[in-house]
Amino acid sequence: LDQRVVPIGVLFSRSGPYETLGRDGYLGATTAICEINDRNPYGVTLRAEARDPAGSIESYAPLCRDIVHAGARFIVGCTTSWSRKEVVPVLERSGAQLWYPCPYEGFEGNDHVVYVGACPNQHILPLLDYVLPRYGREPMLVGSNYIWGWETSRIAREVIERAGGTIKAERFVPLGDSDIDHIIDEVRVKRPDFVLNTLIGLSSRAFVEAYFGLGLLDPDFAAARRPIISCNWTENEIAALGPKAEGHLSVAPYFESLATVENARFLATARTTLPEPQRFSAFFVQAYAAVHMIARGVSAVGAQDPEALLAHASTETYGAPFGPLRIDAATNHAILVPRIARAGRDGVFEVVSGDERSIVPDPYLVKPPAQASAQRGSHLRVVK
Amino acid sequence: MKIDIHGKALILHRPHATTEAIVRQLTQVGIPAECAWPDLPQGLAAADLGVMFFDADMGHDEQFPWAAGAAPMPSIALIGSEAPGRVAWAIRRGADAHLLKPIAGGGVFSALLIAGEAFARRQTLTTEVEALKRRLGLRESLAEATAILMLNDELNAADAYKSLRRRAMEQRVSIEDMAARVILQAGVASGHGRA
Repeated sequence: LDQRVVPIGVLFSRSGPYETLGRDGYLGATTAICEINDRNPYGVTLRAEARDPAGSIESYAPLCRDIVHAGARFIVGCTTSWSRKEVVPVLERSGAQLWYPCPYEGFEGNDHVVYVGACPNQHILPLLDYVLPRYGREPMLVGSNYIWGWETSRIAREVIERAGGTIKAERFVPLGDSDIDHIIDEVRVKRPDFVLNTLIGLSSRAFVEAYFGLGLLDPDFAAARRPIISCNWTENEIAALGPKAEGHLSVAPYFESLATVENARFLATARTTLPEPQRFSAFFVQAYAAVHMIARGVSAVGAQDPEALLAHASTETYGAPFGPLRIDAATNHAILVPRIARAGRDGVFEVVSGDERSIVPDPYLVKPPAQASAQRGSHLRVVK
Repeated sequence: MKIDIHGKALILHRPHATTEAIVRQLTQVGIPAECAWPDLPQGLAAADLGVMFFDADMGHDEQFPWAAGAAPMPSIALIGSEAPGRVAWAIRRGADAHLLKPIAGGGVFSALLIAGEAFARRQTLTTEVEALKRRLGLRESLAEATAILMLNDELNAADAYKSLRRRAMEQRVSIEDMAARVILQAGVASGHGRA
């Protein structure tokens, strides 16, 4: 009798240049919707209003409007910053709320957006904190010609130069370009201590494959010696690369291999819900967690009120598969525990960072970092 | 306060609700607009442009035929991402004002006022700085000319300078130009040709 039907927008590109990540977001959100409707943990029924922009930037705003017209006040969606910015005018006009479940380059804090993924002080900073003392301070930066690559590289350059290191080269390739031989040539000549990879999709894949080829020719480029590091590399991407991905590093709040009770429970549920076996990434699980927080919030607040729901999400912790999850009220960003993990040959990341510290989001990077990268490392295992 | 914009507006941004909103607002204040992306229109005469709006998110240096910071008209950055790397680029291009995307029903008028004023101030300053730099460069010749007069006419420094100033007044030229003449004459007299 109390059962309310809550429409939830699901706005991810399941095809196009970043389809692997978009599909993870879509499946994460719809898996949570199925699970909540099956098991009824919150006393609400969800109705998915799913739309697929298929990687076309022009489609995001109209499809978001469509979702709002279908009655949804909450939307889980968008992978790229570009698409997130496209839907903001629709959110502002309609009062709807976007739960954005991906890592991004920061410098934003919109009232109508809840940022569930990591911002730079939760991805690139802890990653460099881990990598600099172990592999050295003379990396190369390689990215796609897009805000994610520009900005993540800029932050990395600032941190590395402040720590007394130097950037051996910084190269950007057009989005979707897989012609990266010239960059591999430069890597061979300059021998960077590591490569920060902010390439997207096909470009990233082509680069990792070519780097593996270089390692076969010259063992000095083995992943264990000069790794590729990334802030957005996922299980499904490394699964497609097999042994070629082995040994490289990624950072995220979630990896499938996390050994927690919540994760075991989540994996058991998700594997029975999904028709086909697949790997689970942070992009999947953050979208999944967003749907849970929305359903739980609507139930607790007793209304489909975005503002009240956000207040609830910032006071009541949700037990996400990657641990307790709460939204920081000052920034609308999630408080997260970043983990650094090494890619295996079977699509599984092994978490290698020891400390499990919650990091309060600092999207404008205005707070001093909790620890200087130079002060770490002497007592830690060096894998070089 | 009136809008200090003389000529049409160019909007350098891919076709979008943002460009439509800007064109609509420009129409209301009587400024004709033209959109282009990513290249400037063929045969564009910069002198015809009263103001330029440019995309700070996807823009790059190669789009502009003039050097960074030397736009020959007021320019307004259209900022979507506030990531510092992009903002720094807009600053380097010499944005006189900015508008935050998304743009809906307002903002263009005040941006035009601010950009027009900032551009005029920039122009005045550039002219003044150039004049001051020229005079600064002539300071050396002022000292040299004074020294020549001290030697030739057996004067002390103060009297030599007074003499130089009097000659400048008599010949109705600036004291710097007079100094250049004195140096030139001294060079001719002593047989050393000077440029």
